[in-house]
Amino acid sequence: MQASEDQLKAWMTRGLDGDAAAHQLLLRGLLPVLRQFYRRRMSGREDDVEDLVQETLIAVHQRRITYDPARPLMAWVFAIARYKMIDSFRRTGRTCAIEGLEDILVVEGFEDASNARSDVSRLLDTIPAKQAAAIRATRIDGLSTAEAAARHAMGESDVKVSVHRGLKALAARVRDTLK
Amino acid sequence: MNTDDLIDSLTKDVKPMPRHALRRRLIAGLILGGGGTLLAVGVWLGFRPDLWIAMHGGAFWMKWLYTASLALCATLATARLGRPDGGALGWLWIMALPVAGLAAISIAEMAKTPSSEWMAMWLGASWKICSRNVFLLAIPIFGGLLWSFRRLAPTRLRAAGATAGLTAGAWAATLYCLHCPEVSAIFVLTWYSLGIALAALTGAMLGPKLLRW
Repeated sequence: MQASEDQLKAWMTRGLDGDAAAHQLLLRGLLPVLRQFYRRRMSGREDDVEDLVQETLIAVHQRRITYDPARPLMAWVFAIARYKMIDSFRRTGRTCAIEGLEDILVVEGFEDASNARSDVSRLLDTIPAKQAAAIRATRIDGLSTAEAAARHAMGESDVKVSVHRGLKALAARVRDTLK
Repeated sequence: MNTDDLIDSLTKDVKPMPRHALRRRLIAGLILGGGGTLLAVGVWLGFRPDLWIAMHGGAFWMKWLYTASLALCATLATARLGRPDGGALGWLWIMALPVAGLAAISIAEMAKTPSSEWMAMWLGASWKICSRNVFLLAIPIFGGLLWSFRRLAPTRLRAAGATAGLTAGAWAATLYCLHCPEVSAIFVLTWYSLGIALAALTGAMLGPKLLRW
């Protein structure tokens, strides 16, 4: 069971005030998170994983004055973890295993991608269903106009007009929210 | 070492951290190094004998405003880059403001002066040693900042080295004003800035080596 950001942050703040027990809970709480972070990226070199976890814990302890309580804790921890990993690659002259690269990229990009996806579908919900379907088919699923027309039992020119009107409506909607 | 034992040994002695501990650490390093630089100005170069009189004139404050505003911006940037999640530095373009301001004063000064004297204004009496002195005076401050960085966590080492060098150079130039009797804006704009830039460049070169942790 991993501790939440809020819980870890509370321990961190109390540790900064000199509470040794809270500081210990923080370092223990970070342990599974860091192990997972490195395991995912070091593809099975268990010794290196544990070395990096320890180095990161030492850095979190020794350099904790660089944590700004106004900011999220885990972003700070991961920035340190990432630096330690790059530093170890640089030291050993090793590069990232190419087989693992896709996993890393997927993991790194996952949050942004899913945020973007939910943004798009939230926006598409605000325009008429026919226009949204036409845009989804041609612009997101990558179908041709003819294929989209067949899928939704519409005329080809109807698809084109729907996409055009739908995009125009979306643009207006985005402009409104930016105002 | 077992990771659980490591955590136990790390948390044996947990000292409370004061608020703004990072800022304090940086300022302590600056004061430490700045003390060394001030001593060097006093002993090695000597304060200008007319310092009190000069402080009543505009040229002295123009120089100080220029170097101190650069130093302040550079210090803030260094504080940012001392954090692992430092964030964007786009606002550093604000440093173009003092440079542009001093350039405008230079042009205004030159417009009032016959062009036969421009060369003398530009080179002053000390152009050969000014940049070098600023650069050398930056070394103690850079050393003080290196001490500060031992508890900081920069992740962009070259950028952090560059801003640390810039900080050291700009503060060194500020203290060098206590010695240097030059008064023309174009002199300061050229030779002071050159010394500061050299310090920043050196910092950028040394950063990846000296700031690793």
